[in-house]
Amino acid sequence: MCGVEVRAVDVSGKEPSSGYRLRVVQEVLLALLAKEASYGYQLRAQLQLALGPLADALNAGQVYVTLNRLEKAGLATAERVGQSDRPDRKVYRLTAAGHERVVEWLGDMSWPKAAPTEFHLKLVAAAAAGLANPAHLVDAQRHAVLVELAAAQRAALTEPHGSVAGLLLEGVVLRLQADLTWLDACARHWSSRKEP
Amino acid sequence: MGRTLLVFRLAARDLRRRPAEAVLLLLALTAATATLTLGLILNGVISEPYQSTREATAGPDVIASLGRLHGAETGPDPAALKALTDAPGVVAHSGPYLYTQAALEAGGVTVRVWAQGRHTSPADVDQPKVTEGNWVRDGGAVLEAGLAQALGASAGDRITLGGRSFQVAGVAVTAAMPPYPKVCYSPCRYGAAAQNAPPPPIESLPPTSKAGPPPGAFWMGASGLIWLSEADAQSFAKQTQSLGYLVNLKLADPAGAATFVRGHFQNLVTAPSLATWQDVFDGHMWLIEAQRTALMGGTWLLGLIALGSIAVLVGGRMTDQLRRVGLLKAVGGTPGLVAAVLLAEHVAVALLATVAGLVTGWLAAPLLTEPGAALLGSAATPAVTPATAGLVAAVALGIAGLASFVPAVRAARTSTVRALADVPRPPRRAARLIAISARLPVPLLLAVRAAARRPRRTLLAVAGVAVSVTGIVAALSVHADRYAEKAPGTDPRTGLSQALLMVAIMLVVQAAVNAICIIWATTLDARRSSALARALGATPDQVSAGLAAAQALPALAGALLGLAGGIGLAEVLNEDAVVIPPPWQLAAVILGAVAVVTALTAVPARIGARRSVGEILRTEAA
Amino acid sequence: MTQANGSLPGIGPVLRTQDLQMRYGRGAGLVRALNGVELEAAAGEAVAVMGPSGSGKSTLLNLLGGLERPSAGEVWLAGNRIDGMSEKELARLRRQSIGFVFQAFHLMDELTAQENVELPALLAGRSPRTARRRAAQLLERVGLDDRAGHLPSAMSGGERQRVAVARALVNEPLIVLADEPTGNLDSAATADVLRLLDGLRAAGQTLVIVTHDARVTAIADRLITMRDGSLVEETRLTRGTVGRLAELTGLEG
Repeated sequence: MCGVEVRAVDVSGKEPSSGYRLRVVQEVLLALLAKEASYGYQLRAQLQLALGPLADALNAGQVYVTLNRLEKAGLATAERVGQSDRPDRKVYRLTAAGHERVVEWLGDMSWPKAAPTEFHLKLVAAAAAGLANPAHLVDAQRHAVLVELAAAQRAALTEPHGSVAGLLLEGVVLRLQADLTWLDACARHWSSRKEP
Repeated sequence: MGRTLLVFRLAARDLRRRPAEAVLLLLALTAATATLTLGLILNGVISEPYQSTREATAGPDVIASLGRLHGAETGPDPAALKALTDAPGVVAHSGPYLYTQAALEAGGVTVRVWAQGRHTSPADVDQPKVTEGNWVRDGGAVLEAGLAQALGASAGDRITLGGRSFQVAGVAVTAAMPPYPKVCYSPCRYGAAAQNAPPPPIESLPPTSKAGPPPGAFWMGASGLIWLSEADAQSFAKQTQSLGYLVNLKLADPAGAATFVRGHFQNLVTAPSLATWQDVFDGHMWLIEAQRTALMGGTWLLGLIALGSIAVLVGGRMTDQLRRVGLLKAVGGTPGLVAAVLLAEHVAVALLATVAGLVTGWLAAPLLTEPGAALLGSAATPAVTPATAGLVAAVALGIAGLASFVPAVRAARTSTVRALADVPRPPRRAARLIAISARLPVPLLLAVRAAARRPRRTLLAVAGVAVSVTGIVAALSVHADRYAEKAPGTDPRTGLSQALLMVAIMLVVQAAVNAICIIWATTLDARRSSALARALGATPDQVSAGLAAAQALPALAGALLGLAGGIGLAEVLNEDAVVIPPPWQLAAVILGAVAVVTALTAVPARIGARRSVGEILRTEAA
Repeated sequence: MTQANGSLPGIGPVLRTQDLQMRYGRGAGLVRALNGVELEAAAGEAVAVMGPSGSGKSTLLNLLGGLERPSAGEVWLAGNRIDGMSEKELARLRRQSIGFVFQAFHLMDELTAQENVELPALLAGRSPRTARRRAAQLLERVGLDDRAGHLPSAMSGGERQRVAVARALVNEPLIVLADEPTGNLDSAATADVLRLLDGLRAAGQTLVIVTHDARVTAIADRLITMRDGSLVEETRLTRGTVGRLAELTGLEG
């Protein structure tokens, strides 16, 4: 009725993706080691704390795989520590080269690209080729972003006051809000154009 | 030059933007200036006619009279009076003339009169000036002009005097006695000399007959003056045994009359009563004085209410003004400029109010100066002197300046940012009232809280009504007083009622203006909270009733205060014991005040209650 | 809307509108603030109405709460048609069945938090004691029991809005209508208020929230998008996990 479109979206429908290659995880682990030598599980716990609900993206083995890689690259050293009641564990320690790498990383000012160039070009191309109505594409995208935002905000609500992971979630929410604002601008632009 | 232009332009724009407020301000100020003008005009309105009457009638400087005491075997001895005519400093005299008392009946009204026997030939001193008809003859009486006016009698009319039929031969004025009903010869005493002396003992008098005074004695109290031929006066004196003699003295030094009287005054019932021409003048002036007192008192009350109205108007606009000030300051205006704009607005209104007040006062003054009939010529046409105009303008400008000063100072002190942010004056919190109001029905709950939000304004409302009711009740008390001791006929002293009526009307108008100002400010202020109460489930009727009660309760308090204040004020103004006005009048005043205020509130409250809540809350978002 | 919205069997929607129209002005100045809006809210459902400013959301909410009257169409609340009710009936309805939360809080400045919450109860004729007890409970529920004696001016925006929420609940309304409840709040305060509203939703309170703040979607069962006075889209937000969130971290290579 009245052209209202009803969609049902199940946010939980999608399985968590696995096997992320965490580009920055290497640097983060090095930085965490800069203070003191640590066990792998300690490093993993610290990462989980910082990421909160987003830490689900890290699969259990990933930290250890990365630590091995660091060891091979000579950025960290590992030392086996015998434990009386458990299997031996490795203590990781930063090397001079690793330290250099951390400093370099901290000084790196690069910022994730904010321009939604791809989607923009998608709209332009769709309009030019007459393949799809850009306004409909915008609506669909807006919808997807809204759903993501709802999930992120809901996750943020479950974070306790002052949680460091909450800060990350807030960043996610604010960026999605910015995306929504831009999508509204897109909607105005493309719906005001005469249909070809 | 450009700066001045800017100030005037801003002031003019602001006045035009809020015409209703400008009109209210003008009304409030005009009521005060008009009353002040009246009071000032009445000043000195009588002295000129008295002087001309004194000249035309060869008015005496001292009047000495000696009347027969009740119980005295024989009549008074004129020798005591004759001795006075030979006293040093006396250059001329007339008399001794015989006087007595009788009841005068004309047109169904009976009045007690002192009858003075006179020669048909003119006297050297105090020859009353006939303004109508002829001088005394046998069977023909001459009425003092004030008495004639009170009775509505004129030459040729038939009157009954002591049971005998007389004709009014004429009407005359004199400068030797105050007008009806303040006529007083010995054993009555008046004037400066007698004032501090203990009054002679008053014995219980034998009952009086309808036609004459108690045998061998005199009536005291309200009475008039007539002149008869000597023979007629003699025959009345024989009939009633009330007998006295008087002499009129002309002194070498009229200004020294008081000294002369003091020198010859004896506080003995057997000694002559002495009065000076100044005492007579005061007798003429009494009414005008009373009217002036009433009007001046009224002016003060009106001024107070006007100040209250202006404070409310200015305060109600404070938020608005502060924002303007912020804007002006933000674009580089100085606090001085801001103050100048405010002042220019108020001065413009004050000048208009001065002109309007002077014209109103000038037009209304003749209504009050009519009772000058007992003197020669009509009272001098009241004139607005430059001094009067100056004083009225000064008062109006003073009020305007005061009204500008407070917001100007506050505005200058407020930071530009805060002023622009349009932070309204936070409402007051009266915890006790809020707690108590929780127990009240919804309209009263809303009313008490609305009143408590702006305690200063509520107090002003109380004060405004209190001052008005004070004035009205005082007027009613004096009025009641006048009528309680009113002399028969048209007592000229009830002319005071005219002045009081005028003051009362002005007070009512002013109080209404004040109430409108307060209601205007309160309704503006309560818009958001009323809309909110409705959003939270109060019905429009409850909200309207609440707003009306928020005004009616202070009005009731003010009216009760004013009731007490008015009776107190009358007590202060009146030498005699105050007569409390009849209860129905007082009840009418109180209920009237409350009803008027409630009615005035009901209109804006109902209009406000019609507006959509959503709209109000949107526009009034904090 | 074509579907029933998960209302309980045997019970109709708490709130329903039919072909709701709102027009202001006339002639060339005619503004169609609402143009045939059909909306339902089932008992216990949280509905968010989103749209840019000027899309007619606030007008819709005012009509739902009987604060304004529609030009045409019907509003039904708990089986009663309210658009034609007298002001008096509407007032009773508001104090018995509706709780409002406004963007500008609209607390009485001279009343303490406690007194503000009591006010609707007193307007509804509850005894002062009942009102006080109920207000105290609600302030505890919104986490402000220690601020009960404070004036709004001494409270933060988030605290004020929580007081406003407590006030909306004091007469146990059928439905809470919120107009931009987070519009004047910063992130942390927004989170507080959203948590509070989420708690209400979980407790079965029917909620209709109009907003342009997409964060409100976090607590909504249903999201309705408005544009130019019409409902253009409806999204049912099933409460899922944060599985896909990981993609948002940007940590993938």
